[in-house]
Amino acid sequence: MSNLVRPKLAAIVTAYFKYSHAQHIVDRLLDGYGWNGTHHYPPMDVVSLYVDQVGANGLSRERASRHPGMKIYPTIAEALTAGGSKLAVDGVVIVGEHGNYPRNERGQTKYPRYEFFEQVVKVFRDSGRAVPAFSDKHLSWNWEWARKMYDTSREMRFAFMAGSSLPVTWRTPSVEMPLGARIGEALCLCYGGVDSYDFHGLETVQCMVERRRGGETGVEWIQAYRGDKFWEALREGVWPKPLMDAALCRSHTLVPARAGFNHVFPTVEDMRRLVKDPVAYRYRHTDGLKCTVLMMNGLVRDFNFAAYVNGRSQPWSTQMYLPMPDGRTTLADFFSPQVNHCETMYLTGKAPFPLERTLLTTGLTAAGVESLFRGQTRYQTPHLAIRYQPAKESTFWRT
Amino acid sequence: MLTRRSFLQTTTLAAAAPASQPKRIAIVATVYRYLSHAQHMGDRFLVGYPYGGAWHKPDMKVVSLYVDQKPEGDLSGDRAREFGFQVYPTISEALRCGGKELAVDAVLTIAEHGNYPRNEKGQTLYPRYEFFEQCVKVFEQDGRAVPVYNDKHLSYSFEKAKSMVDASRRLRFPMLAGSSLPVTWRLPAIDLPLGCKIEEALMVGVGGSDAMDFHALEGLQCMVERRRGGETGVRAVQLLEGDAVWKAGDEGRYSKALLTSALSRSDTPLGLTVEDGRTQDLVASGQLRTLAKKPAAYFIEYRDGLKATMLMLDGAIKDFNFAARLSGVPRTQSTQFLLTPEPNVTYSACLMHKVEQMIESGAAPYPVDRTLLVSGMLESCLTSKVQDHARLETPHLNVRYKAPQQSQFAQE
Repeated sequence: MSNLVRPKLAAIVTAYFKYSHAQHIVDRLLDGYGWNGTHHYPPMDVVSLYVDQVGANGLSRERASRHPGMKIYPTIAEALTAGGSKLAVDGVVIVGEHGNYPRNERGQTKYPRYEFFEQVVKVFRDSGRAVPAFSDKHLSWNWEWARKMYDTSREMRFAFMAGSSLPVTWRTPSVEMPLGARIGEALCLCYGGVDSYDFHGLETVQCMVERRRGGETGVEWIQAYRGDKFWEALREGVWPKPLMDAALCRSHTLVPARAGFNHVFPTVEDMRRLVKDPVAYRYRHTDGLKCTVLMMNGLVRDFNFAAYVNGRSQPWSTQMYLPMPDGRTTLADFFSPQVNHCETMYLTGKAPFPLERTLLTTGLTAAGVESLFRGQTRYQTPHLAIRYQPAKESTFWRT
Repeated sequence: MLTRRSFLQTTTLAAAAPASQPKRIAIVATVYRYLSHAQHMGDRFLVGYPYGGAWHKPDMKVVSLYVDQKPEGDLSGDRAREFGFQVYPTISEALRCGGKELAVDAVLTIAEHGNYPRNEKGQTLYPRYEFFEQCVKVFEQDGRAVPVYNDKHLSYSFEKAKSMVDASRRLRFPMLAGSSLPVTWRLPAIDLPLGCKIEEALMVGVGGSDAMDFHALEGLQCMVERRRGGETGVRAVQLLEGDAVWKAGDEGRYSKALLTSALSRSDTPLGLTVEDGRTQDLVASGQLRTLAKKPAAYFIEYRDGLKATMLMLDGAIKDFNFAARLSGVPRTQSTQFLLTPEPNVTYSACLMHKVEQMIESGAAPYPVDRTLLVSGMLESCLTSKVQDHARLETPHLNVRYKAPQQSQFAQE
């Protein structure tokens, strides 16, 4: 694609209101964002928008009025064809997060990412042409559908990127897992709920451990621990407490366990008092690596990673720093590197990091939910025998 | 009478004392209550702090505390009981732990917060110099001096600040001072290359005078001091307010490209972002002028010709960002000084780690002259403010020093 041609994009979103993912992502394409020390205006145009749920607080009309080049269409097909009969865009942005969608008996929100994707692909097929696509967060709540999305993108040979902003945001410290490292164990200590931030925790771990010697080999089983079983597992040393401690030492938001102190290291008793509903996902990769994601609402409000690397007894650790507009900031700028990677894909036709990562973390999220649903029993995951090699270049935010 | 020679001999002897004992620390503070500087800094030496991915407990013991004021919420008594030290009624008693001679290995003077009068320039008259003088008096009387950390600027007065630094040189004790901005995390994690040629530098900050402008000026100074030739001091300053700030920008007194660059690092634009979440190019859209209703520009003319500007932009953003244009480097250098959220304020752990380093090694990791110069820059800017925003020559700010070879911001 010539650099002189500005790619045309279609945005397909569930809802577009303040601080919804669609607003964070599509706004950056429309209004630009701080990047590499300037206000960067993406060299591409969002020409069509589909919004599945337009509420009273919706911003799509305001955005369309300020950006008349972007038309709102009532269907996904029309958005992709710009009202014509054939695909009329060079890239697709799917944001199926936020909005009112039912939950299933497992507690998963049935965001219509797969349904959106299928409609996009139908236009690709009908037009005999496919273009790069991005789908925000996990591919689908439903593993079979996620797998089908992956397979379709491979079969039709279009660049497809998905996932969380956690792998691509700032890190404090700004460090990368050495490519080919030997990893003994890995852990993410974070916050948030099941079928939501657990995905971010899993992506935090996966973007690091995929860089280990031999690359990714897939996951054999996962087991969830919640409430009392979490505390029991902690006591029994199911996951290494030193990794948990290291992760806590990377947090900028550790809730003080004692009144009058702004920053104290919590005892396990403190944690029990502060965290009412802890959840852990522990899983084993095919090559034997064990990883853990701890969701400890009430203790921290950030994503912290720790691992044993290259035989060292001291944990290696960092924080995936999210400037979070929950009072701390006003912009969720962790979407900036994600959007920037999307831009690269739309310009080059190549995804900057493997879709297999998100396929695996999508499967892990669903499998973690399944283990919880099955009474926190170990859940075998032969379907997650997903092998891939990581991108050689680091893709997190450093500039 | 203590001679310089006998003083130095005693200092040398003191330095040779066995190192196996934990270092003893006195804290001299204005107030010690929740989220005051004294609390979140002093507590690091009581309960430890995170460093390098581990909970680090300094091999040091707080043995005495002096607090000048005990407002509601005072924690000094609680801390003393829990951690086994004494609160003394005077600074000299705190430094001598109630005995006859200096009985500590280091002093932290943390004189921020508390109820102190302001002068006509709007400076809060925190008694940093007065606290320091009392410490120095004990050092002189007892023939031994120990490392001193002074939180934030040395004094609201350059003259007083200068005499503090002179005392530390005369009595040869290491001294560290200043803000946590220079040592906190940066987004991105960059420093200016040592010896670079800076064409222009700009800092944006918020929070008013004279508390947060000091932080912003130190953020600026810790970057520009790395330029070729090192720091040579400041020739003149000027502070403008209101529309004059925008007019100065229109006239090219500061680069709007650099301003855009610094603001591109902000995660906290206000106005339309707060309204509906959108990103903003604040300079190009003109929103900056609408949002920052009471802007202030601090113009710093260095003796070697470098011009730098610090803009206080309350109402437009809520964070501290820097940008500079270097000779021969096409892209501007810019970064955010990350002020991590309350209550952890982990940036203060970054700073206390530097204090600990000084106490352990007997050498300050970066020169106190930086804080001396910034104290003087700030005072002169605030003088300009009350003298009709006049440009003021500052021959007294002939402060020369070399930046540390090693970057000092949080990277581990």
